[in-house]
Amino acid sequence: MEHTTLSHHLLLAGMLFVIGLTGVLIRRNLLVVYMCLELMLTASTLALVAFSRFNNTMDGAIFVFFIITVAAAEVAVGLALIVALFRQRQTVSSEKLTTLCD
Amino acid sequence: MNSVSLLHWILFLPLGAAAFSALFLRRQGTLAAWFSTLTAFIIAGLALTILTQTSEDIKWHYELGKIGGISLGFGYLIDAHARLMLFVVSFVAAWIHLFSVGYMKEDEARGRFFAGLSIFMFSILGIVVADNLLMTFIFWELVGFSSYMLIAHYFDTDFAAEASKKAFITNRIGDLGFILGIALCLKLYGTLDFAELKLQAGSAVPIALGLLLMCGFLGKSAQFPLHVWLTDAMAGPTPVSALIHAATMVAAGVYFMARISFLLAPEVLQWMAISGAGMAALAGLCALAQTDIKKSLAYSTLAHLGIMGCAIGLGHPELAVLHMAMHAFFKATLFLGAGSVIRGCHHEQDMLKMGGLLKKMPITAATFIAATLSNCAVPFFAGWYSKDAIIEAAWHDGHFFIFGLLALAAVATCLYSGRMIRLVFMGAPNSKAATHAHESPWTMTLPISVLGIVYAIGAGFAANILIPHSSLQVVEKSLNEMAFHLTAPATIVGAGALILGFLSFKFYGWFAGQDSLQKISPRTYHILEYRWMDTFYNWYIDKVQRRFAEFIVFLDLLVINGLAVRWTVGGTFAALGHISNAIFHRGQTRLNAIWITLGSLLFIWFLVR
Amino acid sequence: MPDGLFIFFAALTIGAAALLVLSRNAVTSAMGMILALVGVAADFFLLDAYFLGVLQVLVYAGAVMVLFLFIIMLLSDTEENPTTYPWRHALTGLAVFFFLAAGVLWLFVWSGAVPSNQVQFTPPEVSSDPLVFTTAAKSFGRLLYTKYLLPLEISGFLLLVALVGVVSISKDSKIQN
Repeated sequence: MEHTTLSHHLLLAGMLFVIGLTGVLIRRNLLVVYMCLELMLTASTLALVAFSRFNNTMDGAIFVFFIITVAAAEVAVGLALIVALFRQRQTVSSEKLTTLCD
Repeated sequence: MNSVSLLHWILFLPLGAAAFSALFLRRQGTLAAWFSTLTAFIIAGLALTILTQTSEDIKWHYELGKIGGISLGFGYLIDAHARLMLFVVSFVAAWIHLFSVGYMKEDEARGRFFAGLSIFMFSILGIVVADNLLMTFIFWELVGFSSYMLIAHYFDTDFAAEASKKAFITNRIGDLGFILGIALCLKLYGTLDFAELKLQAGSAVPIALGLLLMCGFLGKSAQFPLHVWLTDAMAGPTPVSALIHAATMVAAGVYFMARISFLLAPEVLQWMAISGAGMAALAGLCALAQTDIKKSLAYSTLAHLGIMGCAIGLGHPELAVLHMAMHAFFKATLFLGAGSVIRGCHHEQDMLKMGGLLKKMPITAATFIAATLSNCAVPFFAGWYSKDAIIEAAWHDGHFFIFGLLALAAVATCLYSGRMIRLVFMGAPNSKAATHAHESPWTMTLPISVLGIVYAIGAGFAANILIPHSSLQVVEKSLNEMAFHLTAPATIVGAGALILGFLSFKFYGWFAGQDSLQKISPRTYHILEYRWMDTFYNWYIDKVQRRFAEFIVFLDLLVINGLAVRWTVGGTFAALGHISNAIFHRGQTRLNAIWITLGSLLFIWFLVR
Repeated sequence: MPDGLFIFFAALTIGAAALLVLSRNAVTSAMGMILALVGVAADFFLLDAYFLGVLQVLVYAGAVMVLFLFIIMLLSDTEENPTTYPWRHALTGLAVFFFLAAGVLWLFVWSGAVPSNQVQFTPPEVSSDPLVFTTAAKSFGRLLYTKYLLPLEISGFLLLVALVGVVSISKDSKIQN
């Protein structure tokens, strides 16, 4: 514990973020894409907690609290949208959902 | 409870009822119907309290804010007119609510309908109590909206959709003038408050102000030349026609004119008197050439509105308000009776296909006939007190031309009334539907009876107590005295008209299942039936306005779009647009994500650079 | 050199995240996601943010991921077909990944933008100063109802709106076909 510094945590957060972003870019299944988005969000909360801890202030942690709250609401709405989409189009593949193009 | 909080309740109870019905009772039609009816009766009770318990003017004002030195307020001003109007509106509305419970029994969308009625109540009561022009205007528009919504109740039929659109657009034209009038008023006097305006407006009021404010009245009260929407508005359910398009909303225009009569220049009054009287006579004759019972009644309403407008024009707003009150009672009864007849005959509206309903629907027939007698101004029926007073006033003030037109209107009223009674209730049934007609349930017959027997007849006697006595000075005698003033020209006209009405009653019995006038003189019938103003408007829009619009579009395409946009800057941006379409707008989420990523990276690079 | 626990959990998190991204089966992806979230929660514990760690496990790895799993099982079309996969996409993804990973490494390790001489301290359990980082859940409560009262109420309202929104979106409307 003595040798873990801020940059280690930030590196972990950054890598998680990049992995999540890559997932968003290469996956076609909207559900998995959505999970990758959540991973990116979590990565940012990790960075916030690390900042909060190393700067000896509570604000970042409180912020994470709010992010978790909002993310929960957002997941519920997003999943409802995906279900509604599936009902309409019988697919959750982002490749087949190109109505905006036509 | 003091009177101001009573007024709060009167105004906001229907709003609450409308919101509650619209939010929670959309599927529970029966519940919504009774709930709305209950609130309507509560409001009627409160209005009766206001009428009987208070005598002096009630004033209450709350300033909402100031914009550019102009105070915007919300307030009540209850004078004698407002008190009477409040009572009339809420009482007629309460009974019509009850009628609707029975009439709309099989309707799927009752929740929406009753929520609409409640929101209408809120709007019309707002007009009645408003103490400034802006507040009046806002509620005026709300009334227009609720009327639009209720005409379009059967919005899945083309006709109702078209009719609601027509009513809305025609009213907009009038309201444009109204709001310009408000602006002018603000510029001239710097205030919109009725009481302050009354103090500031001297003898020399600009003609333009009166003309502009009159525009709102022309639209809402369906006066010439904006009368075209009212007959089409009969596409709505019959209770709506009774409440909005006969008893209250169209009368609101008259009420408003009476309220601001001090802002009307003599020339404006002159115009109102002549056009009102002219329209009264013409609309009465047009009613002779309608086979649809509701349309015939709509023309009758037009005629009475003309008479009210004429009374204001003659400088007797008190008489106009009195006639408005009496008219509300008997015309609501007539419309509700028509509704009962239509329902009894399985939604047959053609009068020529009715007949012989007196025996089949005795209660409806009795009340309908009572209201008709009131409509014809038979002595001691409600219409007689007000209508003959107006005719009398025209004679007394020496406007003999207007007196002639009004006399013609009175005759026409009796003619179409006799025809209606003969065709609908007498003789033999002229169709299968009329043969199998049956009396309506109590929820419908009770309101008709109350409105018809008690009010249409009793209101005349009550008029002595109800109306401000200052209004009686115009005929220089009290109503009681006038009732026995048999030598008055108005009485002669009335008696003559009644005799002609009786002849008309006989005349229309000649040919069963056919219109006698059409049989004898098809040309006259056609002239009366033909919708001149509609034809003119269609011609104007098609041949003048549309061509002008096409010309403007041509200019727009050639000069602005073609020369100024496409050929200069347009070229560059069009090219950019094509590129961006090809690259960005492929409709693929993945691609969008990549562009978002690149954009964010660019942004971060700017930040950390 | 960081301590062993951090290395273990960081490796676990990264590995689970890779599983999430690379697995062809959506259920496996969800499992990877759960593991990654637990790893992040463990990192929260290492950072002395015990309350947030618990919250992360309860809300994220628990409730939210259960919701995800339900939806994955509800929708049948969750298997991706490998034969039609455009490998071009994978290449762009990979390029973006390496580019960004290199950027992250550079930014947090070599650029010196992050101060390495950050003072290490042992956070107190409770502090008299509400703004100081503490390990107690109590300090969350104190801040939420004082400095962050308005955001708290707004987020509560947001939850309500989301609730209503979800109900209205997932309602089987009559208009559909």
